[in-house]
Amino acid sequence: MPLKKLLETLCSALAALALFAIMWLTLVDVSGRKFISTSVPGSLELTEILMVVVIFAGLPLVSLRGEHVVFDSFDPLLAAWLRRAQRAVVDLLCAAALLGAAWVLFVKAGQMLEYGDTTAQLKIAQGPFVYLMSALCATTALVHLLLMVQPVDHHHPGVDDEPSPGSAA
Amino acid sequence: MIEALIGFAAIFLLAVLRIPLAFAMGAVGYVGLGLMRGWEATAASAAQSIYDAGFAYTLSVVPLFILMGNFVARAGLAHELFHAAQAFVGHVRGGLAHATVLACAGFGAICGSSIATAATMSKVAYPSMKKLGYSNYLATGVIAAGGTLGIMIPPSTIMVIYGIVTETNIGKLFAAGVLPGLLCAGLLMAGVAWITWRDPAAGPPGERSSWAQRWQALRGIWGVLLLVVVVLGGIYGGVFTATEGAGIGASGAFFFALARRALSLKVLYEVLVESARTTAMLFTILIAAMLFSSFVNFTTMPGDLKDWILHLGLPPVMVIGAMMLIYVLLGTIMEELSMVLLTIPVFFPIVTQLGFDPVWFGVLIVLVVQIGLISPPVGMNLFVLNSLIKEVSLPQIFKGVWLFVLMLVLALVLCLEFQPLALWLPSFMK
Repeated sequence: MPLKKLLETLCSALAALALFAIMWLTLVDVSGRKFISTSVPGSLELTEILMVVVIFAGLPLVSLRGEHVVFDSFDPLLAAWLRRAQRAVVDLLCAAALLGAAWVLFVKAGQMLEYGDTTAQLKIAQGPFVYLMSALCATTALVHLLLMVQPVDHHHPGVDDEPSPGSAA
Repeated sequence: MIEALIGFAAIFLLAVLRIPLAFAMGAVGYVGLGLMRGWEATAASAAQSIYDAGFAYTLSVVPLFILMGNFVARAGLAHELFHAAQAFVGHVRGGLAHATVLACAGFGAICGSSIATAATMSKVAYPSMKKLGYSNYLATGVIAAGGTLGIMIPPSTIMVIYGIVTETNIGKLFAAGVLPGLLCAGLLMAGVAWITWRDPAAGPPGERSSWAQRWQALRGIWGVLLLVVVVLGGIYGGVFTATEGAGIGASGAFFFALARRALSLKVLYEVLVESARTTAMLFTILIAAMLFSSFVNFTTMPGDLKDWILHLGLPPVMVIGAMMLIYVLLGTIMEELSMVLLTIPVFFPIVTQLGFDPVWFGVLIVLVVQIGLISPPVGMNLFVLNSLIKEVSLPQIFKGVWLFVLMLVLALVLCLEFQPLALWLPSFMK
């Protein structure tokens, strides 16, 4: 499905770039402060904005690969058709929850834009980034709807594939 | 009280129906709060919680430590660590198993994940042990158990998350993990000694290395030792915050991997995306747990439970001991991170009320997570090994690991009884 591929490419690129940027920003900021007593102006706020991108662009990827933590010990006990139906219902509920999150964030973004909320130092408007959070939550909801049609197996990071050294525990 | 209990029951029900735990916690928290406080206020406060978790500078410590571990793992460091450890202890009975524990401890000083430590070590240590004729149960059991050192020896993802939810100083938690981490390593090695004493054929000794070979082997790991010293030393010494240290660590690991020619553009991209995914997965649980805990805190449960326990007048350490028992039992069947996040809003107020140090309790939490990760039937580390080492069956792994589970329980009892084990090192920090 080309839509899946497109979403994956786009979100991967966004999240990867943002994370790499956080790393460099912290390095330059900290070494600047320790060695030449100058820091990157607004590095804190920039990191915060980049964090939003890492987390929320990463979210559709987690759903796409079925990496959310689930309790799947009962899976082998269910008949295949029942399991399939169960997955579809679960994905529908996940989509609903994510749409709910997207909605409350959408409302908040509107308010922040209206009040003209900006970051303290660089005066970057925050509203658009909350819209981004909302849009990416909605995108993840869409991913779950796609999964209803085309399910993926639950994927244990680091277990079902090459080890992923950062997994939860 | 009753509202919170219904909430917990609802989460378990949803989880059993296979709803991802994060969504179950988030939804129950939202609906519960909505019913108690009204929907409009709940929508606003939920949006605020999500916003706060996203726009949080200090939380960048999570992806940065994950990134550091991923870079170093890709640089192939596990081999060098194992060979260095092997050069020193490989010639004793069960030497390679001892070396596995040591290498896991070393790897744990860069990597904050137990699963990743076990997975990485399985590729290095298992083939060597197999070649020397180690029995399957010892080889897999020791890797599974050694992997859990990844979360006790700093940095540690679980400690970072505990620090965030309970607002405990992450640097102090890291310092607190050092001695218990070494204690665990020592006890695991004692376990290896016991197994190979009872069954010498399980772990035959290897060749003795010369001192020249030993120094040679150490040269392969000095770069990473330096990184560990700079990052952890810097955090302990107050040179930088945990967040800054994580940034330095991730950059250092990046240059380290680059210098070893382990990074192509493709690999770099993979490492970044993988780390971002893990971050997103953790934050989903984190945000959901925050929503749920704001619901639990709105009910009378934390207060009721606190009053009830204080009313009982039990010795405080016994109360903590009872909590640990609950954790160890829950940990045999539940996913550990969610277990901790679900119970913190209820348990943590009791701990502070009884006058215990949150840093100490954090170390105990890490220990129960360690135990949970390797205790059958549901222990993630065991599943990891089972899927990575196809020729060893799950019952074999279970057989190999139970003694190590007991060893970690012993570590838990020791840390429970002797608080300075955890609190002595952090007491030197400002």
